[in-house]
Amino acid sequence: MSVKRLAVVTVLAGAGLVLATYFAVVASPPAAAQVRPYTPPQSQKGADWTERIGELLPLGVETRAEATERVVNYKPDPVKYPVPRTPWDGKPDFSGVYWPDATIAPPPVPLESLYRPEAREYREGGGAARGLIDWRGIDTPNYHCWPPSPVNGSMGGTIQLVSAPGYLLLLNEGSSNFRIIPIVGENGRRPSAARRPSFQGSSVGHWEGDTLVIDVTNFNGKPWLGPARPPNQLPQTSSDALRIVERWSRPDAQVFEYRLVVEDQKMLTAPWTGATERRGIMPYDTVLESLCFLDPELDARHRDYAAQQAAKKGAAAR
Amino acid sequence: MSKRTLTLVIGAVIVGGALWVGLRRGANENSAANGTPTPVSPTSWGEPDLTGVWKGEALGASTERDSFNLTTLEGLYKPEARARMQKMSTKDDPSLRCAPPAFPRAAMLGHAVQIIQRPGFAYVFTEAYPVFRIIPTTGRPHTAEQYLYPTYMGDSTARWEGDTLVVDVNSFNGEGWLAGPLDKPTSASTGIWLTSPVMHVVERWRRIDADTLEYQARVEDPEMLTVPWETPTVTLKRQPVETIEEALCRPEDGPDTYLARLGS
Repeated sequence: MSVKRLAVVTVLAGAGLVLATYFAVVASPPAAAQVRPYTPPQSQKGADWTERIGELLPLGVETRAEATERVVNYKPDPVKYPVPRTPWDGKPDFSGVYWPDATIAPPPVPLESLYRPEAREYREGGGAARGLIDWRGIDTPNYHCWPPSPVNGSMGGTIQLVSAPGYLLLLNEGSSNFRIIPIVGENGRRPSAARRPSFQGSSVGHWEGDTLVIDVTNFNGKPWLGPARPPNQLPQTSSDALRIVERWSRPDAQVFEYRLVVEDQKMLTAPWTGATERRGIMPYDTVLESLCFLDPELDARHRDYAAQQAAKKGAAAR
Repeated sequence: MSKRTLTLVIGAVIVGGALWVGLRRGANENSAANGTPTPVSPTSWGEPDLTGVWKGEALGASTERDSFNLTTLEGLYKPEARARMQKMSTKDDPSLRCAPPAFPRAAMLGHAVQIIQRPGFAYVFTEAYPVFRIIPTTGRPHTAEQYLYPTYMGDSTARWEGDTLVVDVNSFNGEGWLAGPLDKPTSASTGIWLTSPVMHVVERWRRIDADTLEYQARVEDPEMLTVPWETPTVTLKRQPVETIEEALCRPEDGPDTYLARLGS
């Protein structure tokens, strides 16, 4: 390499480093400019006001359905919106707040079709939630502060991803659950054998090109992979043999995509390929605190609602 | 600039960099050999590196021992706050129904804390309760008032003062307690440690060496306390794990589990 070329390369590399540092440190997205949770006017509150929430949103705010349609129809454009890359290893930088979760390719076969017939009795009882979750009523794992299903990456509605050296972080808004995902690097990270089995499992990621592949094992056998829909859809229970391989990618700066394969030899007859999900980025750099805990007021409302539903069902039956 | 000058400049940068790396590595090896604390390398973008899983001893107070300066705190409560506390029960501690204790109380529980950094941010996770904090480290202002709402963990912003991360926290919801129901430093203690929504906390996080992190906080709460309260410096030791454990706080676990988390 000639001296001139070496000088040019050095100057360009320096300028690149300065710019990368500037964008990473100084020009971070605007402080949490969140839209406040919408509360309808008192006069519009009623038993069924939540069903009309789409009509009641202020002008200019997308409903969930509108946002989902926008994200599904979006065509990633890495030329116009280049994939952001981390200054420390040049890999795709997933950092951002994302919403909503949109399915861009459905699962090839329904998860239900792969459940072992002999698991039926276990599922009827709610699996590991036997005696705790009355799935034939309106009770759900969500109400008991269980993390979101691992089939959705344990992601709730609005999530924040953070790329950090050696880690991907997943922060949930809507519950305070989080995942800390070590990425195999020079240290050859592996999940600690001392870690207790858990709802969200133990994750370890590695890069295959620009795709982050995450192997999740060491589950505690409790999560439901999908919701129950009484009377016919049984809880989609899991076992301690659950293993999930996730593939995370960033087609451009506007979205990230997520797909996965689920194995559970005690529950399923074959590995199941899940839907391909896509989420759109939002102009914030923090999710908000939103916790799940036993709130006596919420508990009372939950019980009131259950009683109302039971009364409605009773009236319909008469 | 001539080719020769350019070559000289680039050469000087390369030689200087190599010398700096060599001297630094030599210094690290020397200090490890003679038993002095090992200096900590900064992050690749030049900030002090707080990354790791850290754990301190469970701290608290009884009439025999006070390891969290709670005797002082108890004496700082205003008469009207004391009157309120006399009417309450230790069962009113919101942590008993899975509300996360904020820092500094979270630092006295004796459970692991994990810190991960990226340029401009530090993220703090606690094993005692499933909760995270997002802390901007560029000294930017707090979240604008119109978007701010009160929370258990508060709104944080931080700046580096030398090798110390100084975190300013406000916008608490006034429901958290500063210590637990089992902390009773005097025979007259109620075990109730109220806060108010005007509480303001300034924390200092400092990496001492490869295996040690120090934490200290100053708590101002003019509605509750006559003057600010200072916690002692809490020493946290590095844990040889990649991540903290998943620690859910679920109603079905019952109060025994919550009390176990509180170090009883």
